[in-house]
Amino acid sequence: MQLKKVVRNLAIVGCVLALSACAAPGHKGQGQDQDGMNGADANGNNVQSSGVGQGSNFGDSAGGPQQSLAKRTYYFDYDKSDIRAEDKRAISSNADYLMAHASAKIILEGHTDPRGSREYNVALAERRANSVAEFMKAKGVNPDQIRVVSYGAQRLASAGHAENDYQLDRRVVLVYTKK
Amino acid sequence: MTIRKLISILCISFATLFSQTTFAMLSMELTRGISGAMPITITPFAIQGVPPTEDIAAIVSNDLKNSGRFKLSTGSTDDKVIGTVQEAGANRYQINFQLLEGFKGKSAQPTVLLNKKYTVSGDELRSLAHHISDAIYQQLTGVKGVFSTRLAYVVVQRGAGSTKYILEIADQDGYNPRPLLTSNDPIMSPSWSRDGKRIAYVSFENQHSAIYIEDVATGSRQLISEFKGHNGAPAWSPDGRKLALVLSKTGSFNIYVMDIGSRQLTPLTQDHYINTEPSWSPNGRSLIFTSNRSGNPQIFQLNLASKAVTRVSYDGNFNARASYTPDGNHITMLNRESGLYNIGILDLDTGVFRVLTNSSSDSESPSMAPNGSMILFGTLYNGRSVLGMVATDGSVQIRLPGRNGEVQDPAWSPFSA
Repeated sequence: MQLKKVVRNLAIVGCVLALSACAAPGHKGQGQDQDGMNGADANGNNVQSSGVGQGSNFGDSAGGPQQSLAKRTYYFDYDKSDIRAEDKRAISSNADYLMAHASAKIILEGHTDPRGSREYNVALAERRANSVAEFMKAKGVNPDQIRVVSYGAQRLASAGHAENDYQLDRRVVLVYTKK
Repeated sequence: MTIRKLISILCISFATLFSQTTFAMLSMELTRGISGAMPITITPFAIQGVPPTEDIAAIVSNDLKNSGRFKLSTGSTDDKVIGTVQEAGANRYQINFQLLEGFKGKSAQPTVLLNKKYTVSGDELRSLAHHISDAIYQQLTGVKGVFSTRLAYVVVQRGAGSTKYILEIADQDGYNPRPLLTSNDPIMSPSWSRDGKRIAYVSFENQHSAIYIEDVATGSRQLISEFKGHNGAPAWSPDGRKLALVLSKTGSFNIYVMDIGSRQLTPLTQDHYINTEPSWSPNGRSLIFTSNRSGNPQIFQLNLASKAVTRVSYDGNFNARASYTPDGNHITMLNRESGLYNIGILDLDTGVFRVLTNSSSDSESPSMAPNGSMILFGTLYNGRSVLGMVATDGSVQIRLPGRNGEVQDPAWSPFSA
């Protein structure tokens, strides 16, 4: 009981942190980046590295809406762009948030693992991001709130070259550019 | 020879190798050579006056050795290179070299195959050495050498919290690396114009992909394409006036041709499949590209006059990123066989497909040398992305590990770069 409560509180705190981290949309420097963190990249990295992204480690099935709202990285099977069943709740929660906050905006970043050809991977990664976008639109999200960017294999999640690294690479990352 | 002696010789060779490549971004390691490589003797050039900073004979030796077609020898070979370097004023040198043949024949007098004289400044010595290598290579093999060409590639330096992407250009042997673009966001798909003066590439610097054309000499650049969705896979037409590119502005990946002068776009494919990685035939009359219209990615050819599309690749369930040999008779491509990505070549006359890289690691981005002799590609070595080269007949394989960071997505320049 106690543990569950702690977990839920942590999840809520994490969620608030995540949203506040995204509160100020990144200012895009034209080529001149001071520290390598700008625009959507900075937001994406913040979401991934602040610990909020790990919210899913607490157990999605037990989590409330805030917790699934904080889950913003969705993994994909090799050569596939189908959303996994376990991610549908998190994507739905974010869709709900977008519908409740008409001025909120997101970027869906599509990624693949490094194997294969680079430009073909960009197309595969865009399909992954599009399937998340389509899922959200089907829920009723205004398409103007969603922007899709496909990086293909240009921004790997893991530097390694083993299958578990590749699994971390094959993902769509949801980034709030406006709360 | 004792083992100890052998080891000490090996150590010395490594030390020599290392000191020679101090200023190279990429180093060259010949990993597979031809059994029938041509033996040649290159004698150190005689120096008169102030010694130059570059050792021309050593550069020529490296070039010829790394082509895989020559075997350096100090013994009696039929072919021999001799030369002199003479001081000719402040930081100027006069170089004379001769390619001689007939040392193994019965005639006492060798034939002079090449005899050339040049006057250059000290900082032109390296490129002159490559020029000499080109002349020797062409004389002895009948094929124009690629030692004066350049390579473009993307260096990825992963740091704590941020990753740096550098589009870099180096000489064909890895020396003289110069950055063309440095960014905290991905850079991909560099493509040389046929005159070697400009490079088109994809940059994500504004948090979305866009195609730029950059002047290699001046570094000035122009934004060419920034439509909604992906802007990628730029490929110059042989006449340098058009750029084939890929846009996903309609929601699916299709190939377009842009007239660079007027920026006018003409769609070439208009369907809901993935169509990408266009590459022009040498005569400019057709394009080959990757499409999954038959279920999995394969290579297709599009006739620009008739707009007819025909399938070209049939070996395996993954073929992508194809490009022609300069004679238009073969195409190289990325091929997947039992889960491994290799570089292969297809003979368009016979339909015979051959895998050229037989390593146990994945390869990517094949790029043809302008003389059709070698293919440059990205591959994995010791868990790092490095560049490799393989002969189009499979006979020679070279590895070019980067000194600093991962190296990927290479493009071999045309001759005149």
